[in-house]
Amino acid sequence: MTNTIIMLVDDSRVARMMTRAAIERLRPGWDIIEAASGEEALTAIALDRPDFVLMDVNMPGIDGLEAARRLRERCPRAIVSLLTANIQDPIRHKAAELGIGFMSKPLKDEALLDFLDGGHATS
Amino acid sequence: MTEAIGDIERDAITEILNVAIGQAAASLSQLIEDEVTLSVPFVEFLNPALAALRIDQATGRTDSVAVRQRFTSAFSGDILLIFPESKSLDLVRSMMGDSVPLDSLTELEQEALLEVGNIILNACLGSLANQLGISIESSLPSYVRGRGTRILDAKHPDTELVMFLQVDFSLAAKGVQGYLAFVMDIDSARGFSGAVAAYVARSMAGE
Repeated sequence: MTNTIIMLVDDSRVARMMTRAAIERLRPGWDIIEAASGEEALTAIALDRPDFVLMDVNMPGIDGLEAARRLRERCPRAIVSLLTANIQDPIRHKAAELGIGFMSKPLKDEALLDFLDGGHATS
Repeated sequence: MTEAIGDIERDAITEILNVAIGQAAASLSQLIEDEVTLSVPFVEFLNPALAALRIDQATGRTDSVAVRQRFTSAFSGDILLIFPESKSLDLVRSMMGDSVPLDSLTELEQEALLEVGNIILNACLGSLANQLGISIESSLPSYVRGRGTRILDAKHPDTELVMFLQVDFSLAAKGVQGYLAFVMDIDSARGFSGAVAAYVARSMAGE
């Protein structure tokens, strides 16, 4: 049986480090892959099919919403959530329209656990 | 130079920004696991030179580090998170905890401050947008180091008048103080004031 794979997509290395630390604490043994942009994430899924994806929104290049939309087309079984500082209501609504979760930064353990349990966390 | 907008509009702006900055403070508090104390926001209309002086006074006339985001809506401007340079590493250490060695912290300082700024400034802009029922676009955060004039980077320092909102916050246990500032030109400040007035009118009408 293969390990669960979670992909972290964020242009901030520090943000990825903090999210990685939380996942390593809550889900030791999961494989964590990182991408620094939406484009990098879409390239990476050709090699590794993530089970879970955490996606920032405001990034250089294609934004996280568009990256999530394309990613869902190619990996329809992946459970995806935004993880963003952009807490504006329209972003939450767009996430809901795409059928993906929404989590605000800073990341909260309870919200992350909901997501890792397979739910669509909203916080 | 407070006549650029009326007193009632200024009160409304202060109140709505108070809520937005409260949201930003809650995010910062969660990030560093410490209580954040806020001053009452104060809105002034200043020329850029005087606004730069305000920053230098607030940071003890030393270099500051700042994270700046340009925002655009029916009004546009810059929102800045400013710290005295001497305190920025303390803030990063508070945020990253013990998981990162000290020498790596120094290397990560700029990226960590950008992420702090990203979270706090977007919490503030997001709350503002949600309260006003509008959408605000913002640029990616950029990092600036220097005195007030460089931090503000006014395009026309001799002629512009800017709406300068400053709120001081302090992290009691960590001994870190910082400042949040909004800078808008007068046309944008009037547009912003109009959006706030419309929001207040809707609220009063119970909509």
